[in-house]
Amino acid sequence: MMHECSLPTINPQVVCREEFDGWAILFDPDSGKAFGINPVAVRIWKNLDGKTKKEDILQELKSSFSEVPENIESDFVDFVRDLVEKGFAGYEV
Amino acid sequence: MESTAGRGEKIYPLRRIYFYLTEGCNLACRHCWIDPSYQHADKVYPSLPLNLFRSIIDQAIPLGLTNIKLTGGEPFLHPQIFEILELIRSKKLKLEIETNGVLCTPELVSSIARCEMPMISVSIDGADAKTHEWIRGVPGCFEDTLKGLSYLVEADLKPQIIMTLMKKNRDQIEKMVRLGESMGADSIKLNILQPMARGDSMHKEGEGLSVQELMDIGKWIEEILAKSTSIKILYDLPLAFMPLSCMFGDEGSGCGVCKIQEILGVLADGSYALCGIGRNIPELTFGHAAYDNLEDIWRNSEVLRQIRNGLPNRLKGICGKCLMKNICRGSCIAQNYYRNKDLWAPFWYCDEAYREGIFPEGRYV
Ligand code: SF4
Repeated sequence: MMHECSLPTINPQVVCREEFDGWAILFDPDSGKAFGINPVAVRIWKNLDGKTKKEDILQELKSSFSEVPENIESDFVDFVRDLVEKGFAGYEV
Repeated sequence: MESTAGRGEKIYPLRRIYFYLTEGCNLACRHCWIDPSYQHADKVYPSLPLNLFRSIIDQAIPLGLTNIKLTGGEPFLHPQIFEILELIRSKKLKLEIETNGVLCTPELVSSIARCEMPMISVSIDGADAKTHEWIRGVPGCFEDTLKGLSYLVEADLKPQIIMTLMKKNRDQIEKMVRLGESMGADSIKLNILQPMARGDSMHKEGEGLSVQELMDIGKWIEEILAKSTSIKILYDLPLAFMPLSCMFGDEGSGCGVCKIQEILGVLADGSYALCGIGRNIPELTFGHAAYDNLEDIWRNSEVLRQIRNGLPNRLKGICGKCLMKNICRGSCIAQNYYRNKDLWAPFWYCDEAYREGIFPEGRYV
């Protein structure tokens, strides 16, 4: 479950390889798992630093991307949850 | 979703069966990777008996079957193609057909149209009769294929054109797109010539395109050709050479995402096989529909179990290092085995690109 107020931080082992079209591959060298993320998700990934707040990230997305979907907030929550489930991000204990 | 068997192995559903319905084909294509016998008025080759087809379907549905692909040889050569289509319709299975289109008639098309979500691909390798017939080996087949395609369009079946790229037709890609537009095709899929069976001979004779040429074509399609047409163009390169949006985007086609663990092939003689490769590589067949229980074959065939347990982690060479290997799974295991007699050998195209130093850098570790 996603914590109410805090955001997870990225797993420092995971490599983010950005490509020419703004997409990127997230790759965990330990497990060999890899998957592609779109430019909006790349921006979220870069902001999961343990300091930036969810509201600030959402604001940045809205101002940086012309075609941010209306349900960006729920997409955001789903994406972050997915990262945690895959072990690509986690909460500090 | 797969579950777990008693011995701790995953049980994969058998979602798709590819039926290679006929041993013969009415065309004699230079690049065919199956290498069927040429069938004409004086010489007819065997087809999969209808009772075996029925028995396989009945056994496969409880194992999870949802999709059928009919291919060949040439599926419309099958003497009981109407009964086969009716059976597929009555079982509500999703239908995919690969055909050369020559034998397509309005009656056949309406029978296909009654099936669940039919998806039909028609092979056309040249935008004019001279090129197409040079590749397909039979005079007059171009006109027949276009007629077949037009019946499919009229029935709103949204056919796809498949074109295999080689030296002979590399300058006809744009013309083919215009032909597809004018005929009302839904999409064009561009395949690379695979060095298997007759395609192998073509590669050896220098009729294929180099990896660099194929990459350049991909760039040109993406940057210029695709923007000039409303028709979808699907270019079948291995995933390391595709944009991530194609695999992970909402509008991606799922291009190249390999479902090998959910597929079984059935050859025209009733043998179970990895796919049509079984016709040329006997060790990739396992059992026969007339004597063997399908569930037993699906669960216990040694080759299938090796593939399930070994993919993608046992892949070697560039495939072992590739970041796409979890979804690409070595692109085509049958092809890899054909060339190296090793299920885990890397895919030839990526292997060549890697050796030449042109494999995309960010896509491997
Ligand atoms: S290197 Fe292998 S796994 Fe990677 S894209 Fe090529 S064929 Fe697929």
